[in-house]
Amino acid sequence: MTSNKKKLSKVFDYLQGEDPFVGGLSFCAGCPLELLVRFVPRVLGRDIVIVGTPSCSATVMYGQNIGAWHNLSSLGCLMTGVASSATGISRYYRRTGKDITVVGFTGDGCAADVGFQTLSGAAERDENFIYICYDNEGYMNTGIQRSSTTPLGARTSTTPVGSARRGKETTGKNLPFIMAMHKISYAATATLSHLEDLAKKLLKAKEKKNQGFAFLHIFSPCPTGWGFGTDLSIEICRMAVKTHYYPLWEAERGRFRLTHKIKKPRPLSELVGMIGKFSHLRVEEMAALEKEVAERYALIEGMSQTIPLDETV
Amino acid sequence: MIKARHEGEIRTITGNAAAAYGAMLCRPDVVALYPITPQTEVVEQLSQFSSSGLLDAEMVEVEGENSAMNIVSAATMAGGRVFTATSSWGLAFMYDALLQASGLRAPVVMVNVNREMPGILAVSSGQQDMIATRDSGWIQIIAEDCQEILDLLIMAYRLAEDFEIQLPVMVNYDGFYLSYLSEGVNIPAREDVDAFLAPLKDQPERPKLVPGGPLACATHGIGEGFVELRYKHSAAMERAKRKFDQIDQLFGDFFGRSYGGQIEAYRMEDAEIALVTSGSASGTAKTVIDSKRGEGIKVGLVKLRMFRPFPRETLTEVLGGRKAIGVIDRSVCFGWNCGPIYMELRSLSPEIGLVPMLSFIDGLAGLDITRAHVESMIEKVHAASQGNPYQRVTWVNLEG
Repeated sequence: MTSNKKKLSKVFDYLQGEDPFVGGLSFCAGCPLELLVRFVPRVLGRDIVIVGTPSCSATVMYGQNIGAWHNLSSLGCLMTGVASSATGISRYYRRTGKDITVVGFTGDGCAADVGFQTLSGAAERDENFIYICYDNEGYMNTGIQRSSTTPLGARTSTTPVGSARRGKETTGKNLPFIMAMHKISYAATATLSHLEDLAKKLLKAKEKKNQGFAFLHIFSPCPTGWGFGTDLSIEICRMAVKTHYYPLWEAERGRFRLTHKIKKPRPLSELVGMIGKFSHLRVEEMAALEKEVAERYALIEGMSQTIPLDETV
Repeated sequence: MIKARHEGEIRTITGNAAAAYGAMLCRPDVVALYPITPQTEVVEQLSQFSSSGLLDAEMVEVEGENSAMNIVSAATMAGGRVFTATSSWGLAFMYDALLQASGLRAPVVMVNVNREMPGILAVSSGQQDMIATRDSGWIQIIAEDCQEILDLLIMAYRLAEDFEIQLPVMVNYDGFYLSYLSEGVNIPAREDVDAFLAPLKDQPERPKLVPGGPLACATHGIGEGFVELRYKHSAAMERAKRKFDQIDQLFGDFFGRSYGGQIEAYRMEDAEIALVTSGSASGTAKTVIDSKRGEGIKVGLVKLRMFRPFPRETLTEVLGGRKAIGVIDRSVCFGWNCGPIYMELRSLSPEIGLVPMLSFIDGLAGLDITRAHVESMIEKVHAASQGNPYQRVTWVNLEG
């Protein structure tokens, strides 16, 4: 007779304390954000203060009137203000000698678009906090508009597909790479299909933020906005890694390392075929997207070879 | 009653340096710095203070004013005392954060060196920047000279951080005129400023943003919950008027310099007509009033020191019963074609009395508000008080 005790995944070793959130959060069905918001404080611990903005996570993270869905301390600020507000709080804690981890938590619209200046400014000043950007490749909370991280060709409500225009005409901004090139203390990509990798990077960010700015970029597919089944979110995360669409890497002070090498990448079409926002792509449009993905991977692979992050250093 | 133990040190410094001294003496924890003409010297002087060890604060050299305001308002939510300074387009660039700060009831103290706008790179004096943010929920006060800039900074912390107020305070002074003007300024001793601000430590504590609180700051304000916050914000603004008078009185008792609180009334006791001014033009106006008094015209001056909240009660008291009133504005109220302070005073007409009220738009784009201008204004107001027909609005630089 075999034991019915299933061995727990190693990721459980990283979880500490209770889940600070109540059950049943008001995210869309299938949204990986619920997993992310519960996961982050359980890995980082309770000595954190969350700073965020109007976004998909706002209704859950920042409460209403005198009510909130968690017992963390948080400050809600405006779209421009995550990196700067987190700076203000962390500077005051630094001055008063408190070892508190300030965590900026917001989406790609705030990080890569309207709040990009303040993010870049905080990175250049090497502020001592962690900035987490969950990237769902568009303004999903306002109803699926394109952002600067929306990929080439993708359909959104402001890049619709018609006879004259067919989806987004420019490529997505490579935000994590841009942040790494600020030569910050720590920059990394992660996603919800590789939780142990995410947990390690969260802990590393917590440690590295004592020396300077730490930036985590989380690939966070959106079932409502991208058009895929609510049971496929994690599978899409996994396929994004396996197809090189979303390489997992980390960088310290501009030195790079791939953290999850894929020896034989799956064809991009296997990922794209699962996602509604790409369903209109013609052969040549698909080829253009493939070129973008290949070049983006080559960039990181090349960096990890020419300016490698040697773990023994 | 406690008094300052030292006489202070008199130095010849600019208005910008006076602002920097005032901020430094109040020991802010977090300072956000971004340069803009004509404020830049404030930033440079504070950096010098930091380098020489006179100012022990977290100095954040930001990449823009929007970050400056978010940094300081967030730092107050964690419990810090803060300072930043800006002007005109910088104030405009922090507009979203400016409104966030007042909604958070963040006790930020900020200097705004008044500069002309809107316009094509108007690098000149004017109060339009302050006027454009008059409904931002901030307390707005205005200095006349370099000494008053320094003293207002110290009073501003007493006002902003008072438990009954908890609002951001914008200290305004005329760019170019005061920013670069050197005057003898009495710089109080550090320990005296410490003693003057010490009562703030004895108040009930604000809730602070610390882990494990838990404290959710700036939640979504919904329905009546939001209305209640807005009501309390407005009520705190109302309280700020009397509080500012009290602080001015305390400051006078302590340092020997007081300014009258919300307004300064000059030769108003027996005045038949009044001129209303604000900022650096008030000095010119006072000298003209002295000479017109010599000619037998009973004219007095009301200097507006507090613009937000608007000193309704005090102005009603001091202006009530006069025969005519002239208002000098260094800005324009678009849509009403008059000066903004004039427009606001007109709202008090039922209380003050339906006497002739004349708007003088003068000193835009850094043009001087001259003695000759003020003489002409007083003559016009005087004529109106005698029952002569008068022009409601005069663009002084164009019409004389």
